[in-house]
Amino acid sequence: MNKYTLVIEEFACWGCKTCEVACKQEYNPFDAANGIKYLSVWPDGPRVMNGNLDFVWRVTVCKHCENPPCVKVCPEEAIVKREDGIVVLDSEKCTGCRLCIDECPYQAITFNDGKKAAAKCNLCHHRVDQGLYPACADNICLAHCIYFGDPVEIEKQILEKKKARGC
Amino acid sequence: MPEFRYSNIEREMEVYGYDSFVKSHCRMCHGGCGVIVYVKGGKVAKIAGDPDCPIAHGTLCTKGLASAQLAYHKDRLTYPVKRIGPKASGKWERISWDEALDTIAERILTYKENHGPESVVFGYGTGRENEAVIYRIANLLGSPNVLTAGHFCYGPRICTSIITCGTNPIVDYENLPRCIMMWGNNVTISNPDEYKGEPFSVALDRGARLIVVDPRLTRPAVRANIWLRLRPGTDAALALGMLNVIINEGLYDKEFVQKYTHGWEPFVNRVNEYPLDKVEQITWVPREKIREAARLFATTKPAAIQWGVAIEQQINCADNNRLLMFLMGITGNIDAPGGQVLNRTPNVVNVGQFGAHGMLPKDQLAKRLGGERFRLASRFAIIQPKCVWDAILEEKPYPVKMLFLISSNPVITRANAKEVYRALEEVEFMAVADFFLTPTAELADIVLPAATWLEMDYVGDFWKRHGYILPRRKVIQVGECRSDHEMLNDLAHRLGQGQYWWENFEQALDYILHPINITWNDFKKMDYIRGEVKYYKYKETGFSTPTRKFELYSTVLEKMGYDPLPQYREPPESPVSAPELYKKYPYILITGARMPGFFHTENRQIGRLRELHKDPMVEIHPETAAKEGIKEGDWIIIESPRGKVRQRAKFTLGCDPRIVAAQHAWWFPENKDPGHGWEKSNINILTDNSLEGCDPAMGASNIRTFLCRIYPEKRASYE
Repeated sequence: MNKYTLVIEEFACWGCKTCEVACKQEYNPFDAANGIKYLSVWPDGPRVMNGNLDFVWRVTVCKHCENPPCVKVCPEEAIVKREDGIVVLDSEKCTGCRLCIDECPYQAITFNDGKKAAAKCNLCHHRVDQGLYPACADNICLAHCIYFGDPVEIEKQILEKKKARGC
Repeated sequence: MPEFRYSNIEREMEVYGYDSFVKSHCRMCHGGCGVIVYVKGGKVAKIAGDPDCPIAHGTLCTKGLASAQLAYHKDRLTYPVKRIGPKASGKWERISWDEALDTIAERILTYKENHGPESVVFGYGTGRENEAVIYRIANLLGSPNVLTAGHFCYGPRICTSIITCGTNPIVDYENLPRCIMMWGNNVTISNPDEYKGEPFSVALDRGARLIVVDPRLTRPAVRANIWLRLRPGTDAALALGMLNVIINEGLYDKEFVQKYTHGWEPFVNRVNEYPLDKVEQITWVPREKIREAARLFATTKPAAIQWGVAIEQQINCADNNRLLMFLMGITGNIDAPGGQVLNRTPNVVNVGQFGAHGMLPKDQLAKRLGGERFRLASRFAIIQPKCVWDAILEEKPYPVKMLFLISSNPVITRANAKEVYRALEEVEFMAVADFFLTPTAELADIVLPAATWLEMDYVGDFWKRHGYILPRRKVIQVGECRSDHEMLNDLAHRLGQGQYWWENFEQALDYILHPINITWNDFKKMDYIRGEVKYYKYKETGFSTPTRKFELYSTVLEKMGYDPLPQYREPPESPVSAPELYKKYPYILITGARMPGFFHTENRQIGRLRELHKDPMVEIHPETAAKEGIKEGDWIIIESPRGKVRQRAKFTLGCDPRIVAAQHAWWFPENKDPGHGWEKSNINILTDNSLEGCDPAMGASNIRTFLCRIYPEKRASYE
């Protein structure tokens, strides 16, 4: 069981993309856009569902799977699942074979053309190890829909919120 | 195991080795959000939210997080320049602040001498907390002409709320409304004025019902209990229809109506002119949905209306605002906890006093451009931009010789951009203060380098109506940039206004704060100051209006010669008002939906924000696109009777097939031609600015809805 995980309650997301930019601030403080995103927010829809228009914002980011297929497929052992559940991709070890990109069921791994290496959300493990929240989960989200921590506890919190919303 | 805490300043400092941190108050939009700025080696290293901020509670937006990318941008203007070639030649020469300000002062005094102070027009764009200094310098000079967005943005809410109930009623999210009606607004993206998306989100998380009024599908509209998808520009009719239900079903607050309103009977008679079958026909909204929404809003207490600027950029501007206030009022939600509160700001020198409106001589006030036509706007020192362009181009009713535009890019943001461009080409002398050489600045004679919020001290939010003031503290200095306040304080001395200004601007901040007996030095150690919190104040003192009542029938508008009761006017260019034109321009265009990362024309040069929106996009229903031979992603031409622009097609079911939704405020800083592509995708090439199409009281330009046709760019013309 993961000790730490990142959960984004997409139902509550407004698509403001603040988390995308917070992620950029952490990893790329003074660079211009380079198209590489560890986390990306995109509109799913609008489509017609049960006669009504529906659309929801989706957030594509590493889910730090219990049994991550990317770890198994990497020939360089560049991706490791830590004991606390965080799946870390070490871009320095990566040789750019892209097998992990093909294997990820969530399209959460990107490719850095400049470095010729795969890249993804490592759940800000350098921050987590120092007792700091991951950049996107550090209370920046105006919808309060980004959760970091114990998966069971997060599930409870989201359930309570759903009840309070009454919808 | 480490203990996690949000915005853990001590830990951030240790782990990243920052030298210091400064708590400040972001102003990438109008202000509002408290931030923590971490500094390393004298430079901004990181921006985080301040959880102690009572406005956004530590949450942020894309723009705030990218502030350092603005401050340190390679193209930023960091010293004053003067133009040495023809206008829009892109030929500039560095000059000193002294030369820049002396030249501007000399021009102002010469025009004042030869053509009167009214020939010098100061201006700003949307509110950037520089309003008070700009009005001060203009009023003391004797110019009644300050060119702003006030005719169609926020100004109308101030003017109409003052004449209706004394001040702008603000949603009381702190006390959790049980029903929120979001009207012409998406606070989660725009975070406008007093409002931020965070408390709205919390209210929904705590169970508030939601009604959304919007022609376009937004995520809030998906989450709404009721979405009223109205025909663009018919807000007033929809509000009248809802009032009709509330009144005729007896769902209003009888005590409030009886004791505290003025003009109930004539108001009811007017509302009865809008039965639901008529309203359905005007608005396209099924009558049952209108009824359902009216009942939900009127019977859920407390309830509030999250309103926005979309209803103001229309011919019905003033009445739209008044009608929404009437919905708040007769349901008993005005000044109610969790409703819409008439907040008390801390008792500091207010924007009006600081703006020195009382110092403008009466005979100069009488010369305010368009003052006789747009009398409500003029009462609040707001002018209609076309009146300025006409005065430049035709010298009517008198010549305007000089513009001084601060944080304003009217070539992109004002209606009928071609006319704006002509006027700026024509005007004899223009000074601009901005961060970059924008398409507007490229037409100036002198451009001054403006400071970002990271480079200034100020009493943040002191013009707002949420009841708080928050200190904005200077963190860095970039080049020779100066804040708008500092440069105008300096200029004022050179204009001979020294006795009314200060040796340095910190003393002005002391002046703003002096009524509460603190100095800037004291204030900058505080997180914020809040005014007195009190509800239902009108029960003791009445409303601050001529009748001391909540004016459903406006005695002020009546005196000015306007209809004292609200009415619906058809948009000047719609299928109903212009059926012949509609045959040639068969779609209703809407524009102005906010995009994360941009603030009107700003931030298109900031890489990580531009990355969110590479090209201007126009939303089209797939059926409409098929009919016009347009494929997803095509560059298409959008054409109105005024001109054409190009944007890229994005298919969506979220727009009615009769409507297309284009983006606003586009220019291309990456285009190094001095025009920076100002005319390519700028939606205001298509908008109309004729005075007949404006709101008769406010002069609001009707830029949100008009007729257009669309076709693939690769085809030569529509036919």
